[in-house]
Amino acid sequence: MFIRRRTLLAASAASAVASPALAQNYPRRAVQLIVAFPAGGSTDVGARILAGLAEKDFGQPLTVVNKAGAGGQIGFTEAARARPDGYTLCFLNLPGMNTITLDPERKAAFTIDSFIPIVNQVLDPGFIWVKGDSPYKTLADLVDAAKKNPGKISACTTGILSDDHLAILMVQEAAKCEFRIVHFDGGAQQLTGVLGGHVDVAFDNVGSVFKRVATGEIRGLAVTDTQRSKFLPQIPITPELGMPTVISSSTRGVGAPKGTPADICKIVETAFLKAINSAEMKEKMDAVGLALKPMVGAEYAKYYADQQAQAKKYTEWALKMR
Amino acid sequence: MEALGHLLSGFAAALSWYYLLYAFVGCVLGTLIGVLPGLGPAAGTAILIPLTFSLDPTGAIIMLSAIYYGAMYGGTITSVLINVPGEAASVVTCIDGHQMARQGRAGSALGIAAIGSFVGGTLATVALVVVAMPLATLALKFGPAEFFALMVAGLCLVVGLAGKNILAALLMTVIGLLLALIGLDPVRGAPRFTFGIEELFDGIGFVPVVMGLFGVAELLLAAETRQTHMIQAELKSWMPTRQECKDSVGAIGRGTVVGFVLGLIPGVGAIVPTFMAYVLEKRVSKTPERFGKGAIEGVASAETANNAYANASMVPLLALGIPSSPTIAVLMGAFIINGITPGPFLFAEQPKLVWTVIASFFVGNVLLLILNLPLVGLWAKLLKIPFSYMCAGVLIFCVIGAYGLKQNLFDVWVMLGFGIIGYLLRKLDFPIAPAILALILGPMMEKSLRTTLEISGGSFAIFLDRPVALALLAIPVIVVGFLVFKPRSLAPLRESDAE
Repeated sequence: MFIRRRTLLAASAASAVASPALAQNYPRRAVQLIVAFPAGGSTDVGARILAGLAEKDFGQPLTVVNKAGAGGQIGFTEAARARPDGYTLCFLNLPGMNTITLDPERKAAFTIDSFIPIVNQVLDPGFIWVKGDSPYKTLADLVDAAKKNPGKISACTTGILSDDHLAILMVQEAAKCEFRIVHFDGGAQQLTGVLGGHVDVAFDNVGSVFKRVATGEIRGLAVTDTQRSKFLPQIPITPELGMPTVISSSTRGVGAPKGTPADICKIVETAFLKAINSAEMKEKMDAVGLALKPMVGAEYAKYYADQQAQAKKYTEWALKMR
Repeated sequence: MEALGHLLSGFAAALSWYYLLYAFVGCVLGTLIGVLPGLGPAAGTAILIPLTFSLDPTGAIIMLSAIYYGAMYGGTITSVLINVPGEAASVVTCIDGHQMARQGRAGSALGIAAIGSFVGGTLATVALVVVAMPLATLALKFGPAEFFALMVAGLCLVVGLAGKNILAALLMTVIGLLLALIGLDPVRGAPRFTFGIEELFDGIGFVPVVMGLFGVAELLLAAETRQTHMIQAELKSWMPTRQECKDSVGAIGRGTVVGFVLGLIPGVGAIVPTFMAYVLEKRVSKTPERFGKGAIEGVASAETANNAYANASMVPLLALGIPSSPTIAVLMGAFIINGITPGPFLFAEQPKLVWTVIASFFVGNVLLLILNLPLVGLWAKLLKIPFSYMCAGVLIFCVIGAYGLKQNLFDVWVMLGFGIIGYLLRKLDFPIAPAILALILGPMMEKSLRTTLEISGGSFAIFLDRPVALALLAIPVIVVGFLVFKPRSLAPLRESDAE
């Protein structure tokens, strides 16, 4: 420990001296990629696939470090506090990160401006589904039932202030109906809850359950995205169903702590983008049902800012209801 | 009978040398992961997933499953020898296992654990083959209301964990429940009792607490006596005696049933079945006073239950594609990465793969037995290391384990703090197990109650509508009723309890 800290100090002293030339030498040693969720989760799986492929061009090891806890808050905080020298990068999970910063009770030590969004990897659209033998055949059926029995139809999330929670609020707003919101901890509980008949409808993401649609275990009602999902081309999207404001997804990309030199971010962007666009990446991510959505530069920066604005509105609404 | 035919061809495949090799490597890695505290089966499996990318899917699944149940066994070793549970499911094994080691019966404890794990694992796999599908569907009916009722019934077990002093046990339970309140509120998402410390948002870490209360406290106590070895008693036997085996038969049978049934219910976790099996054993024993002082049935029941649980929790995974614990979730991730989707159609679509994997569970259980019985003597020899070295070694072991869990120094301080608390509690003769049980059950109980009420719209009447939940809730009422009103017919039983 002591030895490690001393070498770190030495390294930082050296880098401070050499900082103008930093980018020319970057990367000179292994780069840490903080994942704010546990090993084996879908962010982690995506991160490990990305790290494995990007490493080849990057020239130095990319080490995935899981700093899980408090719905990502521990990992994001650590990444925000890291030295902005390009040797600590972080997976940015939206809108999970947004809602943490927007809930005053969470007293987050970072804001979304603590990070520079560099390159996005995954966009997993929201997905509304019911049990295979449910009486609700379409989203309209569900909404009508919720209108007739306000607060009686139970809709479950994978966690409080998750993208699924926000999606329920969006549907309530667009259709002027009210659900009974049940918060589960993750997808497994959601499956048990809906398949066991304890809850009526699940607000989820495409990646975790799309294979169950083909087997008839579950029935897809809608995908909350602007274009149909390649994994579920038969399922209508919310804009087609008259709800253009119901657009919700979970995205994961790579960012760096604020202050990281722009030329270093560019090196990261180039190496990672190449990996994300590779055929190998596509094949591996298809297997796990995660849709790639490469975004860089102004496009990603705009998306990053838009997500915060959208999350702000619904988080404030959710906080008012509790 | 079709299943039997499939199973036989599965065996033919699983016994081919390369699948045997995968299972063997998995068992060895799993045992190591089990031995290292902090590196639990979930993290261990996740780290090793990339290793399996280059294997064929069947081989990969065989190896990862072997790691999982290998870890379930490996955790026993440190529990018995140094009173540090190598993974969470071995907490209960510490209670009697370490006492046995202190009496020079480490060999017996490890031996019966290996045998019990083998029997529990194998019988649970048989049950998996026979009844997987119907039981898994039935288990889905177990919703948050039933889950809450089960947790309340589980909390009643503390009465069974109490030694002579019920009041002390109840006090420790309340302390455990209070500790369980720390962290993010499961419904509002607001921090409670965290004093702004982000590391506390997920609550007090269970593993560091247990390593402190058991491992560190044990070292402090041992240091007091200026002993030359961690355990003074001469090692009497390397294997359980005939009598010890005979004593354990009932415990192994009951442990299998408890572990299997609870393994079917998603979300219960590996610890609750071990506690339940242990308390059940103490209840049916003619000599409950031996429990906590080195009763071999205590070790046999807990170890059998945790391996029966591990194999039974494959039922919801294979039959429904529902991961019932974090480790199983990682395993499911590995299935999916390898192009296999667990679920109701897996048996029909990929019979060869499923049955080869199931057959490999049997093979793996045999391998673990073969691997571990000869090693018992070797492990037990570790106790011959002088105390001064052993003490430093165990402490390093605990610190690395606590740190490795989340790569967070905070957990190390938690562990050391609870080491001191554990030392004081042992000095005051307060039982530790009830606090641990409450710490595990507390968050699950709170979350399931609040989810139930979210589903019912705030009405408690939901518990009256659900017969299983109601029946489970009746258990604590009856137990407390007996305690308060002391019916005469139970008087002899109570006296033997109090001895």
